[in-house]
Amino acid sequence: MTIPEKASKLKQWQITPRAQNSRLWRIFSVILAFLAALMISSFLLLTARINLASAFGALFFGAFGSWRAFMDTLARSSPLILTGLAATIAFRAKVWNIGGEGQLIGGAMAGFLAFTLFSGLPKPLFFLLVLLFAFAGGALLGALSGVLKVRFNVDEIISTVMMNYIILYFLSFMLSAEGPWREPKSYYQQTVLILPEFRFPVLFPRSEVHLGFLVALFCALIIKILLDATPLGYEIRALGFNPKAMKFKGTNISKLVVVTMLVSGGLAGLAGAGELFGVQDRLVMDIANGLGYTGIIVAMLAGLDPLGVVLAALLFGGLINGAYRLQTVTGVPSAFVDAIQAIVLLCVLASFVLSRYQIRRVVDVESDLSSSDHS
Amino acid sequence: MSNQIFQAAIIASILASTIRLATPLLLAALGELVTERSGVMNLGVEGMMLLSAFTSFMAAYVTGSLWLGVLAAILTGGLMALLMAFMAITLKVEQIVTGMALNLLGAGISLFWLRLMTATAKVDYLIIEIFKPIQIPYLSKLPYVGEILFSQRWLTYFAFLMVPVIWFFLYRTKYGLQIRSVGENPKAVDTKGVNVARLQYAATIFGGMMAGLGGAFLTLAASPRFVPGISGGRGWLAIVIVIAGNWLPWRITLAALIFAFLDAFQLHVQGVGVQIPYQILLALPYVFAIIAMMSSRARSEAPSSLGAPYTRE
Amino acid sequence: MEPLLRVEQLTKRFPQALANDRISLEIFKGEIHCLLGENGAGKSTLAECLYGFYKPDGGHIYFKGKPVKLSSPVDAIELGIGMVHQHFVLVRPLTVIENVVVGIQDSGFMLDLKQAEKRLLKICETYGIHVDLQAKIWQLSVGEQQWVEILKALYVGSELLILDEPTAVLTPQETERFFATLKQMSCQGLSILLITHKLNEVKQISDRVTVLRRGKLVATINTAEASKAELARMMVGREVIFSVQKTEAARKEPALEVKNLRARGDKGQEILQGISFTLHRGEILGLAGISGNGQKELFEVLAGVRRAEAGQVWLEGEEVTNRSSNFMMARGVGHIPEDRLHEGLVPDFSVAENLILGQQRSALYRRGPFLNFEQIRKFAAMCVSTFEIKTPSLAHPTRFLSGGNIQKIILAREFTQCPQCLLANQPTRGLDVGVIEYVHKRLLEKRAEGIGILLASEDLDEVFDLSDRIAVIFKGQIMGVFDAHAANIEKIGLLMAGVKEEQV
Repeated sequence: MTIPEKASKLKQWQITPRAQNSRLWRIFSVILAFLAALMISSFLLLTARINLASAFGALFFGAFGSWRAFMDTLARSSPLILTGLAATIAFRAKVWNIGGEGQLIGGAMAGFLAFTLFSGLPKPLFFLLVLLFAFAGGALLGALSGVLKVRFNVDEIISTVMMNYIILYFLSFMLSAEGPWREPKSYYQQTVLILPEFRFPVLFPRSEVHLGFLVALFCALIIKILLDATPLGYEIRALGFNPKAMKFKGTNISKLVVVTMLVSGGLAGLAGAGELFGVQDRLVMDIANGLGYTGIIVAMLAGLDPLGVVLAALLFGGLINGAYRLQTVTGVPSAFVDAIQAIVLLCVLASFVLSRYQIRRVVDVESDLSSSDHS
Repeated sequence: MSNQIFQAAIIASILASTIRLATPLLLAALGELVTERSGVMNLGVEGMMLLSAFTSFMAAYVTGSLWLGVLAAILTGGLMALLMAFMAITLKVEQIVTGMALNLLGAGISLFWLRLMTATAKVDYLIIEIFKPIQIPYLSKLPYVGEILFSQRWLTYFAFLMVPVIWFFLYRTKYGLQIRSVGENPKAVDTKGVNVARLQYAATIFGGMMAGLGGAFLTLAASPRFVPGISGGRGWLAIVIVIAGNWLPWRITLAALIFAFLDAFQLHVQGVGVQIPYQILLALPYVFAIIAMMSSRARSEAPSSLGAPYTRE
Repeated sequence: MEPLLRVEQLTKRFPQALANDRISLEIFKGEIHCLLGENGAGKSTLAECLYGFYKPDGGHIYFKGKPVKLSSPVDAIELGIGMVHQHFVLVRPLTVIENVVVGIQDSGFMLDLKQAEKRLLKICETYGIHVDLQAKIWQLSVGEQQWVEILKALYVGSELLILDEPTAVLTPQETERFFATLKQMSCQGLSILLITHKLNEVKQISDRVTVLRRGKLVATINTAEASKAELARMMVGREVIFSVQKTEAARKEPALEVKNLRARGDKGQEILQGISFTLHRGEILGLAGISGNGQKELFEVLAGVRRAEAGQVWLEGEEVTNRSSNFMMARGVGHIPEDRLHEGLVPDFSVAENLILGQQRSALYRRGPFLNFEQIRKFAAMCVSTFEIKTPSLAHPTRFLSGGNIQKIILAREFTQCPQCLLANQPTRGLDVGVIEYVHKRLLEKRAEGIGILLASEDLDEVFDLSDRIAVIFKGQIMGVFDAHAANIEKIGLLMAGVKEEQV
């Protein structure tokens, strides 16, 4: 190929890496991804031989169609905000905490323990202790994985996933016929019912939105401030980018990893308290019900931004609600959500490529050469 | 005297179960070995196993042919792995999260379709007739050894036969050398004109197909039903087995057998009626996995470029 | 005579810059041709285009008189063009034979290592190369690894060998042997394109030299007809001062004392085998040695990042052995690491954030539990102007800055944080002359202020230019310490290769 005689202005299209991740494109690509996911899930619905229009109508209506629906969406989103935050803060440090599920259970169990110990105390103190215990329960599990990683070189992905299974069996034992927490004379694996006075107060009349929602919003704010404006947040972000440089400049990486896992686990634990004292009203085997894993998807959808997590959690809360309505109206199993949430995640991951690169018209850059010194 | 025979019979039974239960672990682990040797970290093994278990079960249920079920499993695993490869190699997305997404995809789609099928068939569960064990002539009649080693299903024989096959492939063929090199230093192979992406795609898809076979075993050979979550963390155990086995085929086999032994032990102990809460026994493999990772100080063969997307700069 | 390789008007464009601007050159059979230029002049890019790794945006390439289109290294290899990159691309756990053989597209799918070994032995014999073919790469020295790279090219019948900065990793003696072998190769008819920025080498080995500057061709001349000064002027575009002016060092008290330091490397092997030396205030102690002989580990121990198994370290009379990096930082020990992008910075952080790396918890940049962004910005702005850091903004991610600016950020950070002593590990590697001059100037300034500097460098010219005393490190031991005046380059070179005085 030859170049034209006057090689002055040469315009061509090029795909180049973007200097800074464009915020605008990030949001745009997420929306694009969500739409793409909906399209793909249409195929799933087609296998169920469902009228697409009525299916999507049911989804939307169930999510945001009425005040009641909106309230339900808020309620469903509150544990997702917390598990989403848990994943966010860990993933920002590139510490892959996949144990939100187990940490949620741990928090719920610790919360139940608090219930058995402190139900006699005045309500404000009782709730405070419940929250503290729940945080501690999740935090302990998280910190354990952290210690296993820094002290024994056990990959945190493996240890957190294994713990998810182990904790579940532990719960099973506690709820089994020989276990201490089983409701006496009951056929099912569950604890006694938590009486209304001990449940989290409901925030809006005739809704299921409880105290946990406020806790979740509060945590989102705290985590946002922590990451962006404190030394610890600086260190967590740096850990995710380049731990080596941190080590050279005086940071105790091991301590930082354990602290990050501790906070992350604790957040998931708080979600457990919300589920126990605000939704299920008793400790059951499926208290977590995939909320830990969905939290990971929420976090990725939010681009690992704490405030974005709130929005993404609302979106998913709506999706879950919509899926229940979908089942009622069309008979499509609500497990549709489980399928679609993974598709959403895959589309979102793929879409991040869009914001990483850009398509530009490139003009001959001879003039730039004098000022730049590229290595 | 009869007590001794009784004990020996139990041990033989446990060992036979060990070999049987090792099958899905070994299949998935060997597949993951090849994938990771090429530098791709596929964490979606669990999802691949689960969805393959489902599709193979469904194919067998609908068509009545177990072999079509096997084919379905291979296709499912391969397609999911193709997706993984596309995301990880071409789009260069974070491999860890992609793997998680595939796990959730497998779980979600299998649950969704199961509920659909049971709703339409108006039953609570579906059942098929599974593969029968193949008794190897003469050898299966040997006392004890015959029961343990030579009365297994064909998938089990296949799994164990693949160990030397994969060893041979990795260490004695040109492509095996290329794959090992790509996982260590992709640029070294790229500068020689080898297509890195094509190698990684092939290795990943192979891993997915093997994971699929592992899933098929669960519903076509181990039990006649599909229940949600039937894979039960075996995909994760396969990943642990690869690490604990230091990315070497024979060590991986040993690790798989140890995990399978724990599983087999738990099964038989329950039958004998020991007074331990059964949950502890069920949790043993997962606890052991963590312990195994702790002592894995020998990770000398870990591919240096594992999990790192390769771009030609 | 028809040239083996003819390049006409070759152009290669990258998003950030025009790397090669209509470059033309010719290489003849049996010629040793040098490609000379500063870092960033476009030499490596041109080579990669010739090797098919990059696709040129314009121009023609003719090999043996026929026009060729290289879409990948496979095409280049098939034609007979081989390349040895600056950073080796070897597979460490595999043997030499396996590294040479991997990826070769011939028939069959079985590996035949015995056959390959036979062929390799013959090649080694022809050119006088000595490498243990059965050794695994990690067992070989860096110089030996380079020979493996060359064997890779020779094995597939290269007629043109492109070498990118091959002597960067060799001692002076090894360089001599290397050039001798190269001459032997060219006598056998092999053409060699040697990429370098070292004028000595150009004068020593090449028949002709092509000088590039900022992507453009400056000239191609017979080496014998050009002086070093002329070549330097062509390379840089202005007069270059060859050595730095420096005042006499007034020897002061010890800043850093190290006795019998022992430490292990990342793989558990014994790396530091009893290091002892003293660094005084106001002096530059140069540590000469090929990278990989323990410099990195020594610096990590002194910075508080690696454990010392035995021995002591004193800082200004206080024992600081095995204190944390936090402690050393607080005591005023600055560290300029070898890998500036991956060890010295958080590349995705902004310029401002990187300038306070390590100080994020100090009261200076905090207001209560929060970071004091106003203060951080003020500090960053001051650094940028004082150190002439070229960046679009304080918030710009540092990964997109040039190597020179990245180094300036690290310098700014370390200089403003440390008043006591400075550990500089290969501070000018890969930078172009302008920035190197700048770094040298600032190091000498610090020296004049009374700060002790431990300078590890592979560039012997730099060591001789800057140091007051020179220590040689080899396989984790100090082979000797000399006054800069009294040292001569041959002796230092021998010590760098491990040859002790008695053995000479």
